[in-house]
Amino acid sequence: MKTKKQNKHIYWNPYFGGFLLGILIIFTFFITGRGLGASGAMKSSVVTIVDAAAPKHAEKNSYYSKFVEDGESPMNNWLVFETLGVLIGAFISGSLSGRIGWRVQHSPKITRRRRLIFAFSGGILFGIGAQIARGCTSGAALSGMAVLSTGGFITMLSIFGTAYLFAYFFRKNWI
Amino acid sequence: MGPLIPNDIISFEWSSIIAIIIGIFFGFILEASGFSSSRKLAGVFYGYDFAVLKVFFTAAIVSLIGLLYMDYLGYVDMSRLYVHPTYLWGAIIGGAIMGIGFVAGGFCPGTSLSAVAIGKIDAMVNVVGIMVGVFIFSELYPLFEPIYNGYFQGNITLVDSLGVNPFWFVFLLTIVAIIMFFATDLIRKRVKKVFY
Amino acid sequence: MVNRKLVRFLSFRYIILASILIVLAGGLVLLPKYEKREGISPETLLSNVISPERYITTDELADRIINQDPSLLLIDVRDKNNFNKYSLPNAVNIPLKNVLDVDSEPYLNQDQYDVILFSNDNLYSDQAWVLCNRKGYKNLHVLKGGINTWFSTIINPKQPTEDMPSNAFKQYAFRKAASMYFGVAYPKKAQKQAVITKNTNTVSVPKKIVPKKKKKKMPVEGGC
Repeated sequence: MKTKKQNKHIYWNPYFGGFLLGILIIFTFFITGRGLGASGAMKSSVVTIVDAAAPKHAEKNSYYSKFVEDGESPMNNWLVFETLGVLIGAFISGSLSGRIGWRVQHSPKITRRRRLIFAFSGGILFGIGAQIARGCTSGAALSGMAVLSTGGFITMLSIFGTAYLFAYFFRKNWI
Repeated sequence: MGPLIPNDIISFEWSSIIAIIIGIFFGFILEASGFSSSRKLAGVFYGYDFAVLKVFFTAAIVSLIGLLYMDYLGYVDMSRLYVHPTYLWGAIIGGAIMGIGFVAGGFCPGTSLSAVAIGKIDAMVNVVGIMVGVFIFSELYPLFEPIYNGYFQGNITLVDSLGVNPFWFVFLLTIVAIIMFFATDLIRKRVKKVFY
Repeated sequence: MVNRKLVRFLSFRYIILASILIVLAGGLVLLPKYEKREGISPETLLSNVISPERYITTDELADRIINQDPSLLLIDVRDKNNFNKYSLPNAVNIPLKNVLDVDSEPYLNQDQYDVILFSNDNLYSDQAWVLCNRKGYKNLHVLKGGINTWFSTIINPKQPTEDMPSNAFKQYAFRKAASMYFGVAYPKKAQKQAVITKNTNTVSVPKKIVPKKKKKKMPVEGGC
């Protein structure tokens, strides 16, 4: 009998995952009145690190100073707690299906080093873009779309549109 | 009724605990849907795996329909929800930069966090990269400020800016999404399979 | 047999799911539309209208002002000109046309103060009262008779005649005392004095009114 070649990892049916994610977004809006987010926690960590390393500098910079308040750590933030939850939840799911392990995932055609360099530079771009657009795919696009926010739709279209436009140049990394 | 915390039905002190619980579910769903794998995420741009698109649009439609029904039945007041503000060019340029970052790095912040939790080293590098990106942005803030603060149009929704009936819009969006799901399955059959 | 049926059913599962979604979304379009009511129902409004708590008499008000009742918030719904000419001490001016403005909401929509609306007579203050009540604001009262009655009872009270009951005399005594408090030494000159009264009153430090803090809607931006 011919065995069908299959991916190693079996994930949820995407529609099922999407359905649960949609329910979670409704629940989040119902409880807190705001959507999900992810990059906000990274911003808080950066602000905290800079504030600890060079408090004078953080005070002078007009962007950090928005998030540094006297006597209140920028880490005491809804999004930071949510991010902690994301780490815990992903760990639970990964351990339930045995996906935990130190590894670098990359296409067999590229080296590990190249993958890491691209992951890093992609991260830098994402960090800058997420600040300019005031949110990433989850905060701006997904939660924005759930309340029909114009900005959310524009961000979503812009992210996916540009990614499709530039996909050709990065094809070696993935296929 | 809802939203519960802004309406003081649940006190503000609970919000951190609720945040962690919501985060756990969020992380679990992301990981279980395969978003911790950068090659699965990138598949959407090369046509070998459309999980991102499917999850993303299913979530958006389910939440839209659900919120509109809850608003209609009075369980949640849509006007009290936080609407992501619209900074026209900030959204376009920021989105474009994020798009390049997405296809280069293969992660977006939420998914890279869930990949960090299961020990992907490329995701950790990606998270560090995002933090460096935020750092660069903050250091060069005066340079970005005109885009960041300009072209502000308020916390508007599509109902305000296009003047459409939200119910019709959601209905059309649902049909478009279902056609899209169908089309992606057709595309996937034609594209060479990639195993990861 | 059962299994095969199930398999056949499952092969349609995406079509079934898609149609469920479309039906749900279509249901939204077909839902009967109704204007969302803001605030209270008409029945509650009607019962509020006939409630005796709606009005406050001038005597009661004068008593509370003299006793420096801290829970009092006077709101003048006449236009700015009239307000500048004369108003009750420490009153806040919110002209009728501005009653539903965002700026005036913190004054009107609160539960710490007893809000007392007044105008020259009942007419405008009653209208303001209905508008605000409809929005579900609490603790609203209308000064019965408005400024006109205020003048004729407190500032310039009528002396009771001999054949009136003793209550009337008591009331008169109180009103005289009150008019003294409000700066009118001789009732005869009331009209003239009143103008001066206003000057002294508005110059004096106005009562600090702490409008109810609006619930913080959202923390800082950067939602992602």
